[in-house]
Amino acid sequence: MVKMSLFSVWHRRRRLASIALAVMLGVSFLTGTLVLGDTLKANFDRLFTQVSAGTSVVVRNTTGVQSRGADADRGLVDASIVPRIRSVAGVADAQGQVLGYGSLLGRDGTAIGGNGPPRQAGSWITTPALNPYQLVEGRAPVGPDEVVVNRGAATSGSLHLGDVTTLQTPQPVKVRIVGIATFGGADGFGQTTFAGFTLAGAQANVTRQPGRVSSVVVRAEPGVASDTLRNRIRTVLPRGVEAITGTQLTRERIDNISSSFLNLLRTFLVVFAGIALIVATLSINNTFSITVAQRTRELALLRAVGASRRQVRASVTLEALTIGVVAAAFGLLGGIGFAGLLKGMFDAFGFALPAGGLTIHTVSLAIAAGVGVLVTLLAAQIPARRASAVAPISALRESETEARALTRRRIVTGAVLAAVGGAGAVIGAVSGTVALAAPGALALVVGALVLAPVFVVPAAGLIGGIVRRVRPIAGRLAEDNARRNPRRTATTATALIIGVSVVSMFTLFTASLKATLDGQVRTGVKTDLVVSTPAFGGGRLSPQLVDELRHSPGVQRAVGLGGGPVKIGTESTTVSATDTAQLHEVMRFDTTAGSLTDLGSDGIAISKSNAAHRHWRLGSLVTVTFPGGSTARTTVRAIYDHADLLDDIVMPAALYAEHTVQPTDTVVFVATRPGVPLDVARRAIGPVAQADGGSVQDISQYGASTTSGLNTLLGIVYVMLALAVLIALLGIANTLALAVYERRRELGLLRAVGQSKRQVRSVLRLESVIVSTFGTALGLMLGGFLGWVFANTSGSSTIGFPVVQIAIVAVLGAIAGVLAAIRPARRAARLAILDAITAP
Amino acid sequence: MTTTLVSAPAARAEEITRAYGAGNAGVRALDGVTLEIASRRLTAIMGPSGSGKSTLLHCMAGLDSVSSGRVLIAEHDLGAMSERELTVLRRDKVGFVFQAYNLVPTLTALENITLPLTLAGRRADPGWLDQVVTTVGLADRLTHRPSELSGGQQQRAAVARAMVTRPEIVFADEPTGNLDSRSGAEILGFLRRAVEHFDQTVAMVTHDPVAASYADAVVFLADGRIVDHMTDPTAQSVLDRMKAFGG
Repeated sequence: MVKMSLFSVWHRRRRLASIALAVMLGVSFLTGTLVLGDTLKANFDRLFTQVSAGTSVVVRNTTGVQSRGADADRGLVDASIVPRIRSVAGVADAQGQVLGYGSLLGRDGTAIGGNGPPRQAGSWITTPALNPYQLVEGRAPVGPDEVVVNRGAATSGSLHLGDVTTLQTPQPVKVRIVGIATFGGADGFGQTTFAGFTLAGAQANVTRQPGRVSSVVVRAEPGVASDTLRNRIRTVLPRGVEAITGTQLTRERIDNISSSFLNLLRTFLVVFAGIALIVATLSINNTFSITVAQRTRELALLRAVGASRRQVRASVTLEALTIGVVAAAFGLLGGIGFAGLLKGMFDAFGFALPAGGLTIHTVSLAIAAGVGVLVTLLAAQIPARRASAVAPISALRESETEARALTRRRIVTGAVLAAVGGAGAVIGAVSGTVALAAPGALALVVGALVLAPVFVVPAAGLIGGIVRRVRPIAGRLAEDNARRNPRRTATTATALIIGVSVVSMFTLFTASLKATLDGQVRTGVKTDLVVSTPAFGGGRLSPQLVDELRHSPGVQRAVGLGGGPVKIGTESTTVSATDTAQLHEVMRFDTTAGSLTDLGSDGIAISKSNAAHRHWRLGSLVTVTFPGGSTARTTVRAIYDHADLLDDIVMPAALYAEHTVQPTDTVVFVATRPGVPLDVARRAIGPVAQADGGSVQDISQYGASTTSGLNTLLGIVYVMLALAVLIALLGIANTLALAVYERRRELGLLRAVGQSKRQVRSVLRLESVIVSTFGTALGLMLGGFLGWVFANTSGSSTIGFPVVQIAIVAVLGAIAGVLAAIRPARRAARLAILDAITAP
Repeated sequence: MTTTLVSAPAARAEEITRAYGAGNAGVRALDGVTLEIASRRLTAIMGPSGSGKSTLLHCMAGLDSVSSGRVLIAEHDLGAMSERELTVLRRDKVGFVFQAYNLVPTLTALENITLPLTLAGRRADPGWLDQVVTTVGLADRLTHRPSELSGGQQQRAAVARAMVTRPEIVFADEPTGNLDSRSGAEILGFLRRAVEHFDQTVAMVTHDPVAASYADAVVFLADGRIVDHMTDPTAQSVLDRMKAFGG
């Protein structure tokens, strides 16, 4: 029996090849995402281990406010502790270090690194063992304007030894490059740019706080354990300063990057791998069902000569196993290539990921291969059971086991699921309850798929009606073929339905998000011009820029908006910091209590929802803890209605600056003097803004730039979904090829009575177009609805309907049908008439 | 051996051979057959299984290619025709009736009958269509699908389709092979009438002496060669002749 199954697989290898291809693609995707995850993790581990490789103990400010990235926002510590630490027994060396924000400009005057990676500036540590960077050219900085830069930054900015360039910290500082450094032999710490001053230079230019350092890095004498040294150092530290070992710091950074970035990325990738696998499973299941139906007589013959049901079932399962194993093996190979491709794709879209070769864990490969085989087996279970149910008598009859009729149970189940799910989703969307919308949406999708065969007949009639106008007879034959077995047509289209619905859901969702953000900008901002930094980059504007802009010709008013992470109690949150007295001149918002114009030096304003959430009212005392560990006792003096561009707490810029190391603005709103044409004002303030690393935008450009990150995300989503759609296409091609085999006598007959090869191909192509259009249309409807639901639950107030994108998806769906039909159509046309007519 | 029948031929085979495989292992299904199918006549091709009678029909209809020799339909040399020309020839100048599976299951009886015309993008001549449909007695079943028709009705639809283009020649391959004797007799009656009343030409392969008795002439095949022929056969005379060959 085993031999027979294997022989059967070999005999039908061409028809089974496409099943294998679907499995292979699914496994490739999963392998690729897992390997990419492993690789990133390994690279981050390696990088962070290198950073603190020579460091035994790190001393730093105790208070950290969690923000994005590997390190929490932390305040400075007094440099006077450095000599105290040096005097601790077992300390070989201790160096105060400054590390902050600084964006290097390249030879062409633009920021190096574009919108992507972090930009750091700080002090150059002269003890090589404590410095993760190594000088490869030039020398260490001596003068206050001298810096060492990492080789990657120097190369991409075309900077050389002796060059003078600008470093925006964010105040522009002229620096001279005296040294080029590498990071563990590589061009830098991932894609991060780094500029290192002398300690004094860094204190003067980066943090602007002389006598204070970001942290102290300590090297132990040989034979002194880091733990021991850490404990000794702790005894000499003042309150608010802590000591941890270098290993602890590495661990902490790895954990932070894992929980913030890596896990998110991995979940994201696995979700798409999941979609690809579901699509693959459906298409495998469909193909197996058809092949079993086609082999009814063969299976019945086996039963007639004495094979038990179990044996028949086992033989089909064994076939699936064989295909699964072979395909998974190829999938693993493909997956490793795919991981490289994905990585390149992220790089191309501007998410610079740490460099380094692929890390391939056996566990990941085992998971991917295991899932692939399991999915194949699972997909073959229903067909296998149906195969075992073939009665021996079927060997003597012309009959099909593939059920055509729709059971009443199926229709009722589908209708109930879709109705309940749809209702849940609508209610969830309107009330903004994700907990109701998500399961509702899922039930709706399942219900719609169960019901899909019901729609096949009318849909095929509708699409066929259009097709028939162009091609009367071919259209008619194609339509009838598509309607012949609604269940099969629906199942064939299912993979495409899922693919297209996810695509359109994301499209609508992002369009709504963009429309909402854009709307917020348009309604929230009163000025015509805005100075901001390239979005997504973490680029920041100097607070001095506001003053400079204010004194520029044609400018009536300039108000900056900044802020950052703080703690309220133990909870991390973000605040907006601005010139509260003038904010109402440049932004539109409603104050429901108190007034923003007279907050005083210790007043804050809070949003209405925040007031309700924290039970604050006018006059409430709020203690805000800043990253440096310093606290401010503030009083609530105003409550405003939710304003989208503001955080839930607004405080005067002066108050925020007092407690923050590098206070910056993210955007400056610029109101022009009456009568000054926009382009004149724009030209006037352009150079001022540019000197500080900002760029002038009108309000619609600003609206577009705040959403440009979404385009990147959508691009990545599209690329990934393309794979799922590809698998769906394979499924359609597969079913058509099997249909050609089934209908070979009919095809032969048609050819005999005068159908040309072109007409044969045309019929197949049109049938495929009907199936794919059906799938695309249903997918668009489902996806559009889901997009609306999730746009609503995520708080988008404007629903964007991206007509162009949706039309593109629809057209692509139809074209996909044509592509899927190419091979089956060619095969159908090539059938020898005589063989076809005399086929059994 | 040349077999000439009355009147100008609708189709002609000249010294055709059809070999399958090569060398000693090869089989000659047809071995130098020369035959003319007379116009406006019903010709039966008979022979035991494996005699090559179906291969002869397929070759003459342009469904199969010959290894050597020439086949002409209405003086067109099939060997010189391209695939497209052959398709057009089958559509416009030839009609087919097969033993089984004659109809496209998704089309109605009427659509099946007019299929060759539709494929050519033409409309049926209403008068002729009406006449054909009435002759085969399917006027009240035209909107039915093949699955709703009896075996005899399906074959009648096939006969109607074969005649709808007024072809030069209708090839019928065991048209009654799957039918009971009454339905079979009906089909043969229609073919006969097509020749007599509508001036059609029919070439029919059969192994049934009764079917052959409807023909104007019978050609006997054995081992890929024509071994005998007969005009105005009766079931008995055909049977006797077959017995003489040991078939």
